[in-house]
Amino acid sequence: MTTLTLSPGTVRAGASRAVPYVIAVLLAFLVSGVLIAILGHDPVEAFRAILTSSFKSSFGFVETVQKWVPLVLLALGFTIPLAAGKYNIGGEGQLLVGATAAAGVGIIFADLPMVVLLPAILLAGVIAGAFWAGIAAWLMDRFGVSEILSTVLLNFISFGIVDYVASEVWSDPAAGHPTTIPVGDGALLPLIGNPSMHSGVLLAVLVAAGTVMVMKRSVAGFELSAVGANARAAQVHGIRIGRIVVGALVTGGALGGFAGAVEVAGIHGKLIEGMQSNYLLLAIIIGLIARGNALAVPFVAFGIAVLEVGASAMQRSAGVPSEMVLIVEALILFFLLLSDVVGSRLRRPQQ
Amino acid sequence: MDSDLSSPGVMAGTGGAGHPVLEMAGIRKTFGPVVALDGVDFAVGASEVHGLIGGNGAGKTTLMNVLYGLYKPDGGTVRLGGREIVVRNPRDAINHGIGMVHQNFLQVDSYTVAENIVLGTPQPSFPALNLREAEAKIADLAERFGLKVEPRIPVQWLSVGIRQRVEILKALYRGARILVLDEPTTNLTPQEVDSLFGSLRAIVDEGMSVVFITHKIRETMAVCDELTIMRDGLRVATLHRRDTTTRDLAMLMVGDEQTAERVAAVIGADSAAIGAGSTATEHPAAAAQLSEKVAPRVKVSGLNADNDHGVRSVHDLDLGITRGEVLGIAGVAGNGQAELAECLAGVRPLSGGEVDVDGEALAGRLTAQWLAAGVAYVPEDRHRDGILPGASIIQNLVLGAQRSTRFSKHGLIDWPAARRHAAEAMSAYSVKASGATAAAATLSGGNIQRVILARAFAHKPGFLIFHNPTRGLDIASTQFVYDRVREATAEGTSVLLLSEDLDELTHLADRIVVLYRGRVVAERLRGAYDQYELGRFMAGIVEES
Repeated sequence: MTTLTLSPGTVRAGASRAVPYVIAVLLAFLVSGVLIAILGHDPVEAFRAILTSSFKSSFGFVETVQKWVPLVLLALGFTIPLAAGKYNIGGEGQLLVGATAAAGVGIIFADLPMVVLLPAILLAGVIAGAFWAGIAAWLMDRFGVSEILSTVLLNFISFGIVDYVASEVWSDPAAGHPTTIPVGDGALLPLIGNPSMHSGVLLAVLVAAGTVMVMKRSVAGFELSAVGANARAAQVHGIRIGRIVVGALVTGGALGGFAGAVEVAGIHGKLIEGMQSNYLLLAIIIGLIARGNALAVPFVAFGIAVLEVGASAMQRSAGVPSEMVLIVEALILFFLLLSDVVGSRLRRPQQ
Repeated sequence: MDSDLSSPGVMAGTGGAGHPVLEMAGIRKTFGPVVALDGVDFAVGASEVHGLIGGNGAGKTTLMNVLYGLYKPDGGTVRLGGREIVVRNPRDAINHGIGMVHQNFLQVDSYTVAENIVLGTPQPSFPALNLREAEAKIADLAERFGLKVEPRIPVQWLSVGIRQRVEILKALYRGARILVLDEPTTNLTPQEVDSLFGSLRAIVDEGMSVVFITHKIRETMAVCDELTIMRDGLRVATLHRRDTTTRDLAMLMVGDEQTAERVAAVIGADSAAIGAGSTATEHPAAAAQLSEKVAPRVKVSGLNADNDHGVRSVHDLDLGITRGEVLGIAGVAGNGQAELAECLAGVRPLSGGEVDVDGEALAGRLTAQWLAAGVAYVPEDRHRDGILPGASIIQNLVLGAQRSTRFSKHGLIDWPAARRHAAEAMSAYSVKASGATAAAATLSGGNIQRVILARAFAHKPGFLIFHNPTRGLDIASTQFVYDRVREATAEGTSVLLLSEDLDELTHLADRIVVLYRGRVVAERLRGAYDQYELGRFMAGIVEES
């Protein structure tokens, strides 16, 4: 993967950049270990459960990898607009409308064969997510509405849509929770590998690799980061800022919608209210820990997926509330941001 | 303020030959690994204007910031009237009778002249603030030193030249006996410069001292009694003005004989231009004749431009630039230059009019199409408009050409080609950096400008727009820019040079038009330049018949 770096200097810089990450992770575990001890639990047992459950059993590993899929897609959907200095806080709304569109197509055309239906629902998810982010992008480009505000508000609208679709349109009354009836069999992602996991994992790997390639090597990626680095200078040199920023938000939304479609086709087989979990929050944490570097996002996302899967194991075996993992994740980000402050203090020459 | 006349050095000083009022010895100042001042000695006598000259980064301003208490020196002593003093902050400096006028004025725009001058000094404020006494004192100072101001006008209404007077009065009001002026002639018209020099004379005639920081040799020769030349954080020499020549000074400043020769030649030519007043007005129609004779490569007709607030800033402008011609645009900043430059670079949409480059009508097209048509723009604000600060030199050189076949293949950037190009450009343009991957923001102003020039010239422009291209550059980089402009015109490129520096314009331009309030008010051909006349046009004083 190092061939993707722009220059030999970035490799060296990468090594020195890893130091604050290691320190931040260690400090986060140290502080949360103290917290766990104060709560009266055994921190060693808790951390053992968190860090090993993904690798102890094939079930744990599959769960981790499948959790990685929505995380990496949403995190990239956050990172792409971030490169141009825009904040897409609408990942869960994009995921939900993507899931809704995918489930709708999967239910309406339930009898179609897989070769047609599976691509159709994935495409439906992508288009719906892109459209959802496109609303925010249009409002920003046309009227200067803050994309932070509009993407967040669109999340709430998407909750209403899911609620309506899952309890009114294709409701499954037996579920006891707003849920649609299942999609057709042709809409389900086939399982691959041993231990077997849904093939959306493979698609996510390809999409992530493609995104990194576009961000680091393509003309569009260069223009995107130029806008983020200095929008004025980019404009003076012929880059159309509005187009780039709108494109970045719409692409981010498409990734969110794709994540929603994969959740429907790979995990649930239907639309379920609340299926967005806390993915958006985690995706933002991932994007920020990766400091907007698309290449780092898949790896950070995997680390967070390990922590998330370990959380319930920790609750079972050490009795520590699984929410403690969120504290660990937040602390990693916190210490990483703190390292920026400390680093710049150390570097600043004394006056 | 109580140190006014009691300071023994002031009483003793009678002209430059006397015992110095101010002595700085062995001043050393480092910023991290950078040695800004390396044991500098500096002495100023009473009743003298002491020029502190050198290129950018020579340490002139740093030395004076140490004197004014803005920087704490790592070593060295400061003596005032023979007594050692420690200046911890500007308040200490003011109490010792040291005043400084910075390049950027620190003024409250909505306050009146008098309010700005007294701000921070004790004033009778019961039952209400009473500035009558202060105003009388200000009027007295203004009268004595030829710094005429109207004390009750808000400073936001005043021109740069008048606001500078306010700043000088501020220092004098606080009892400054040593007045430090940092590059005071930037943005002044020649008339304002003369008036400033007259005031400086009046100030030193009353026994005070003036330190005049500048990088302009000609101004040094016009006003200074003594000169201290600095280079690379060292004092190179201290001389009497009457014992030196512009050529010697250039040599001392640059430290390189070849460059110095050319710098001195430039100054000589400019000095001639100043005296050309009598012959200047003889061929007012010649310019028009010339532009009709040769078909222009760049043709601007009826151009209208609005500023960011939608206010019309350029009105019905017509210009033509022939192959290989440098057209200079003179004017005081804010008379439509920025809007004109951006319109002609395709960055700002035209509010009316046509722009043709090589017969191609560009109005209404995308910025990228202007670039493709051979328009290159070297913006005034290098950091804001010219570079991607966090990106590498390689990436900055690609900017604007990322879609050209030079750097892109099948929608991907050809980074190996970009790296090769960067290596070539950095050696051809003598860019000093730790490497091609260095972030642009870490470069000095001169090196950033070299990167911008390398980028502008790489796409073989037919029309080059320079806006204040040498502002803040040292002599070597300035000369470098001039050489590139010459090379470009020799290859037939049409150049538009917008500059507030009349020396630069008279040196480079084949023709100068003066922009005042968004309109062309005068046009002069090379050989008929008179800086005073241009200055009057810039100030809007003379309407051309």
